[in-house]
Amino acid sequence: MVKILLSILALLVISSQTVFSQTKSDVWRYEGPRVGLDLSRFLLNSMQSGKTTGWEIQGDIPYKGSLFPTFETGMQSMNDKHDNFHYKNSGNYARVGIDMNLGKFESLKDHDFVFVGARLGYSLFNQQTDSVYNTNYWGSTITSFPRRSMSANWAELVFGMKGEIFPNFFFGWSLRAKVLLAVTKDAHIKPYVIPGIGNTSGGTPFDFTVGVYYRFPIFKSKKMPKPIKMGGAKHPGINNGTDTNDQNGSGRSHSGRSGQY
Amino acid sequence: MRYFVIVGSLFALMLWSCNNGNRCYDSVDTLMVTSFSIDGFKTINSLVINGVNRSDLGDTLVNDSSSALTKSYNLPLSLTADSTGFVIKTNGTTDTLYIRHTMSLVFVSRYCGFAPDYVLLGSRHTPGIDSVKIFHPKVNPSSIQLAPNGQNITIYFSSARH
Repeated sequence: MVKILLSILALLVISSQTVFSQTKSDVWRYEGPRVGLDLSRFLLNSMQSGKTTGWEIQGDIPYKGSLFPTFETGMQSMNDKHDNFHYKNSGNYARVGIDMNLGKFESLKDHDFVFVGARLGYSLFNQQTDSVYNTNYWGSTITSFPRRSMSANWAELVFGMKGEIFPNFFFGWSLRAKVLLAVTKDAHIKPYVIPGIGNTSGGTPFDFTVGVYYRFPIFKSKKMPKPIKMGGAKHPGINNGTDTNDQNGSGRSHSGRSGQY
Repeated sequence: MRYFVIVGSLFALMLWSCNNGNRCYDSVDTLMVTSFSIDGFKTINSLVINGVNRSDLGDTLVNDSSSALTKSYNLPLSLTADSTGFVIKTNGTTDTLYIRHTMSLVFVSRYCGFAPDYVLLGSRHTPGIDSVKIFHPKVNPSSIQLAPNGQNITIYFSSARH
């Protein structure tokens, strides 16, 4: 673990030196894997009923300029105590997917983007229910349902933004609509909160993430990333964009060939 | 762009923090819907139902002095035993009915918790009751919606003994 942290620190120092040592006339576009922390997971505890704790790490890497394959992993545990039952749930999850930049990068230095994306998620968790209390005319009962390992998988649609606040440091958010595809069946209790999905007791689970990210500027290029071409009819006489790479990082250039990182 | 990222974050955070409250809107009362019948031209002029061995003040489940033939009554089943007994007094005659059943707890919702879910298996009774017909063996929180046109069981009294 210490070795990994040292390696990351060394990479940060080297990359910072690379960025700050460049001259003004020598403008490059830096790209690389971006890793961040989802801050919203820390806010869950104060914003939702039930004691929820967890963390989530998110990462992406640019592919052909405007596509960003992503990987997200985290854990979540919940301790939900009610008058008539006590539900505990804890587990790990991971998501893989891709984000697509909806707009165009305006210059070599522009890394802000609005995106839509999709994810596939898998969660491995366990749940336990204690102190299930029931009463009626005939008396009362208190029962428990033992700990049980479960799994779930789901799909997500994502919309969000990421903006570079300081060189290589990003801040971003995303809104997510989730569709539960499968979950282990339990005879007693259907899990109403699943790590990685959230609350499933309503209709479509929605989620929000807000994160800070650091990009490791490993790759450099002088070519603008190629925007994603949307479908549609081509109209004669209208220039659909020419390859005018902005080599100086200024002005509003349009798409060119993707950078060879 | 950065302005939109930050403002959008705050807006989305605000939306996300909204929730639909933490109240229970579902029923967790599980009651067996019961109706009565008697052959011939007789009527049930009075009906009193207690649980077996439950004769204290406040233990009466039903006390109806009007005609009970056109009504249905919601009766609770035992949470711990696999059968539930009722003492039924009709027109001055006392009968005892035992309903055999299974019981399991089912999750209703996060804010309502669990409710008992029964399956009726059969019955035994004293001679004043001619027969018991089980129409809907599943008794759960939604069973009370069977009334007034449906019921879980119908108890047929013997006209000769009433």
